[in-house]
Amino acid sequence: MSDYTIIGKRMPRIDSRAKVMGKAKFTADLKLPGMLVGKIKRSPYAHARIINIDTSKAMALPGVKAVVTGKDTEGIKWGVFAYTRDQQFIQMEKARYIGDEVAGVAAVDEETAIAALDLIKVTYEELPAIFDPMEAMASQTELIHKDFPNNINIHVNIDTGHVDENFKKAHYIREDTFVAPEESYFQAEPYAIVARFDHEDCLEVWMPNGGPHMKSKPLSNAFKIPLHKVKVRKIAIGGAFGGRSEICPVDYICALLAKKTKRPVKIEFTREENTIATRQGHAMITTHKTGVDKDGRVLARETTCYMDGGAYSSTGPIATSVPFLSMEQAYRMESVRYNGYRIYTNKPIRGMIRTHGRGFACGLDTQLDMIADHLGIDPVEIRLRNSRQPGDYTSTKSYVDSCAMDETIHKTVEKSGFKKKWGKLPPFHGIGIGTNSVQTGFPMGIRGGSQSFIKFNEDGEATVMSGVVDNGQGNDNMLVQIAAEELGLLPEDIHLVSADTETTSSDPGSYSQVSTFVGGHAVKIAAQNCREKLFKVASKILKTAPDNLVAKNRLIFVKNDPEKSIPIKKVVRISLLNFTSVNAEGGYWPKVDMKREWVSNPYGQMCEAFSFGTTIVEVKVDPDTGQVEVIEVTAAQDVGYALNPLVLEGQFEGSIAMGGQGGMLTEYHEWKDGRCINTTMLDYKLPLACDMPPKINNIIVESLDPKGPYGAKEAGMSIAMSAAQGYSAAVSNAIGVHMDSFPLTPDKILAAIKGKKQTC
Amino acid sequence: MEKILITLNINGQYCEVMVYPNDTLLEVLRDELDLTGSKESCGEGACGSCTVHMDGKPVRSCLTLALEAQGVKITTVEGLANGDDLSDLQQSFIDHGAVQCGFCTPGMLMSADALLKDNPRPDDKTIRKALAGNICRCTGYTKIVEAVAHTGNPKDHCPDCNTRSNEKE
Amino acid sequence: MRLPRFKYSGPETLEQALDLLNTHKDDAKILAGGTDLLVRMKKGLLKPKVLISLKALNELSYIKKQDGYIKIGARTPLADIIASDLIQKEARALFQACEKIGAITIQHFRGTIGGNILQDNRCHHYNQSDFHRSGRQACHKDGGKICYAREEADRCNSTCQSDGATALMALDASLILAKKGAKRTVDLADFYTTDGIIPHAMESHELLREIIIPLNGAQSSYQRLAYRSAIDYPIVCAGVLLKHSSKNEIEEARIVVGAMSRSPLFLAQVSSSLKGKKLNDTIAFKKAADASMDSSAAFAVHNVGATLEYRCAMVSQMVFQALEQAAKCIKG
Repeated sequence: MSDYTIIGKRMPRIDSRAKVMGKAKFTADLKLPGMLVGKIKRSPYAHARIINIDTSKAMALPGVKAVVTGKDTEGIKWGVFAYTRDQQFIQMEKARYIGDEVAGVAAVDEETAIAALDLIKVTYEELPAIFDPMEAMASQTELIHKDFPNNINIHVNIDTGHVDENFKKAHYIREDTFVAPEESYFQAEPYAIVARFDHEDCLEVWMPNGGPHMKSKPLSNAFKIPLHKVKVRKIAIGGAFGGRSEICPVDYICALLAKKTKRPVKIEFTREENTIATRQGHAMITTHKTGVDKDGRVLARETTCYMDGGAYSSTGPIATSVPFLSMEQAYRMESVRYNGYRIYTNKPIRGMIRTHGRGFACGLDTQLDMIADHLGIDPVEIRLRNSRQPGDYTSTKSYVDSCAMDETIHKTVEKSGFKKKWGKLPPFHGIGIGTNSVQTGFPMGIRGGSQSFIKFNEDGEATVMSGVVDNGQGNDNMLVQIAAEELGLLPEDIHLVSADTETTSSDPGSYSQVSTFVGGHAVKIAAQNCREKLFKVASKILKTAPDNLVAKNRLIFVKNDPEKSIPIKKVVRISLLNFTSVNAEGGYWPKVDMKREWVSNPYGQMCEAFSFGTTIVEVKVDPDTGQVEVIEVTAAQDVGYALNPLVLEGQFEGSIAMGGQGGMLTEYHEWKDGRCINTTMLDYKLPLACDMPPKINNIIVESLDPKGPYGAKEAGMSIAMSAAQGYSAAVSNAIGVHMDSFPLTPDKILAAIKGKKQTC
Repeated sequence: MEKILITLNINGQYCEVMVYPNDTLLEVLRDELDLTGSKESCGEGACGSCTVHMDGKPVRSCLTLALEAQGVKITTVEGLANGDDLSDLQQSFIDHGAVQCGFCTPGMLMSADALLKDNPRPDDKTIRKALAGNICRCTGYTKIVEAVAHTGNPKDHCPDCNTRSNEKE
Repeated sequence: MRLPRFKYSGPETLEQALDLLNTHKDDAKILAGGTDLLVRMKKGLLKPKVLISLKALNELSYIKKQDGYIKIGARTPLADIIASDLIQKEARALFQACEKIGAITIQHFRGTIGGNILQDNRCHHYNQSDFHRSGRQACHKDGGKICYAREEADRCNSTCQSDGATALMALDASLILAKKGAKRTVDLADFYTTDGIIPHAMESHELLREIIIPLNGAQSSYQRLAYRSAIDYPIVCAGVLLKHSSKNEIEEARIVVGAMSRSPLFLAQVSSSLKGKKLNDTIAFKKAADASMDSSAAFAVHNVGATLEYRCAMVSQMVFQALEQAAKCIKG
């Protein structure tokens, strides 16, 4: 492994320079000649029939170039899945949440656009609105979507069988319910989009996205133009975290305005719009029933989860499944029944989020701790007795190849001094552990694979084309690192063309956690194919078999005789002069069960690899104020192989901040009649530099996955999820109360401490 | 409403620009002067993405009226480097992996730069306090704090001090 | 987010500023740092026709000791107050309060002490964008007849979240308000209307000129709670002043609770209950702290985050901690 020149090394990212200079262009930074400012008219009512929209006054306002409403569309309902088609691009029949799009305006400047919005007169007939998922299921009032009875959007049912009989065999059974309100992405970059139709009637768009190919197809469908005329462009993206994946109304509205005005249009969201009119995480009520034998091994489990999905489906089937799937990957659960319900409410739309189901996962781990308490086993032991092992099949029948779950547990336990501390710390000083697992991909049908194309330029340097998108996590650097390693070039010799649907091939998208596994792999294969061609030419010059050649540091040389070498540049030139191409392509498609479907058939090989993570957290709780001081966090993830430890550490630390510090201590949304009270950076509490724990230990565990490029799998998300669990376990341990309502804000902690005092 | 001609001293250069009274400095930088390094992430002075310097001290440009930015030396992130030569702080951010999505980076650099000019050897606590007004969603702040602490002050234990960017020379 | 249109005035002297104020009265608002005013304007909560900026009025930016008082110009940046030795030693509560306001990067230009005292009352139902507030009836503060924080309330229940005001009231500060051709002094304790809509007893043609803190050998302390250690407004806070006799007894106490009501609450009865108590009388402090909690709880509504129950409970914590700290400073 240490044979690698560039792979596996701490390498500063190639995109950092432009960013520290303020040169990197994000969508809102773009300026195109003749560009107009677009704004969206949104419903102020949570549930209302749209009776009429009068745009005449708005159209007449000087400076307004176009106004669009549902009448300018075909009113077709769109959905990520064929069975979730519930959203018109511009609402014509009903508004279903406060913020729902009912019209769009393009004008010469922002002030005019906003004035125009005020001039658009919408006549609504208010309908009874529902904000609570349990109420929504029981409600007799008008359904939010007429084709979804009881307002149930998605029901995922997984049943491995033998659940009830195995409960009967259990030595100890617990049933507990855990709740958590929604959390939010709060990407640093508020959503923005620029669209124009060019001189060839091609649609060109820039927007932050989790996968440009996921955006281009629906745009192609909606505008009835072929895919080769839809160019979703590469742009610097200020974070996604799962919240910018599929097409949304504003994408369509902006393009439509561009079409109508024949000018580029830019729409920039305010922070409030980014919070309520893109996506949020799901609020969840989760009940776990777990039966164990006398050693704490899980014999049977039944989990029911009600998720508040908001007004439309979005990626509902995925979001309803992943919290469960992560747990069934992390822990052995042979007999399990899962019923996940995603329910419509008249609230903003919920989507997949990096910290999937904090209440769900924390609940399951908390319950394990409760069971361990009862049986007199420590939390580490009970996890080791139930942990996923290599060679296992998950409950939904995915084969688990590489798995170093236990190693992540052992290493965090050792580094944090868990065994020395647990049960031995003074009152209000606690330590806790959380473990989780994340799938490296899911079945994506036609978009399951990634293809890369590499061309050499005459100067011996290369251009690599890949559909992989970088949301800020470092995917661009990853692709260049891989290409440089395989081609024998240096990173600065490579130019990356990526995430552009005009030039790059389809790719699953970063939200599926496979940018490295599939996208990086495709680049690796393409580069290997290039190298093969280069070696074929070089072998003739160096008079040795291609097998004997090595490419490194811009040279091709003979393995045991490095003096016999030729610069890659020269090989390229010679090839071209001899009418031989050294360009190549490569593709990777993971072998998954193509018949596996989230709802209709949730069984079969999910993906080729799973990552595993453990986070141990040590805290002190102030018993007078309920405030938590985090002393130390130790996180270990089985990432398969660390392509770039510097980048990985950054992912771990960011994950701890989002899943743990924020997700478990301060982040939640508050509502009043369907209105989100805390939509801003002031009122929604993201952790600040001075709030973060002073000591974070990052442990990279490598199981060397046989399928992953260099052995690499998903990195970061297992920490985001296990960090929440670790924080929760630590606080629970500190105060001697197992918490069941998240996040653990000071008021809840104080109430729990008081409650314990009274029962003692 | 009429536009007013103002003169701004930005990154050592004087620019004349026509502004409305209700234009903020951030809007003028981004929309009129094409200095899009400073960002709007919240619009209300909470996040720090818009941070620039006025006479070397950090300020929220989203809450500064453009016509009140006259008569001071304004520095934006675009003014930190000397042509193509990055400042030590910028280079340190790159070397220590303190940049992920990069949206908060300009504001973060401006706050850190002001701190270092005042206190070239700040400790961890001081750095975190100085950066408390800059919100980052990606990094968890660890590498940002490290990058600031190690600027001009390389640590033997740190594998990222004196990395390839220096090796190249 | 764009600011609404306004006419900008940049007076060069205090006289000019007062003249402009006198001319425009209700049509004008004073612009100091802008963190309160400009943010509210961006949200569409107010649209003043004229902004009178204090930018050029350096004469309003000073900290000095004079005739047994600390005198602070209203436009003094928070950073200057924090850096002042005089304030740190002789008006500690104010130092502690200002340190917590916003963040270091806001305290140089965008945060002034006058701006902090005169910040409008806040409520998480009111401090929202135009869009958020459309589609529902306007609340009292927004020109309507309903309160979203307290059901069926016939008045506005917005909260004063000013760290500076709470600390200054504990310090028994007074304010000098100037208008064209005249000025008046008012005790900070008398400066509040307890009306959530117009919280300050100040005419539209008046301007806050100076803050005066009596130097009387007392010690003070300010404690506050917020979710995070920077940026956030306090969800509960307390300012305490202790004057002691040579016998190590409390001669005078001033306990002020903030972020719990429409104005900072000076708890006169609770304060006087400490008279004659020893500086190390922890039990008396605890009793006073609990009494403070009981007194303030009646006023509080759920409108600034956290939970009402928690904030009320924490009043006791904040007052107790402030009392202990002030006592410690005396002993130390």
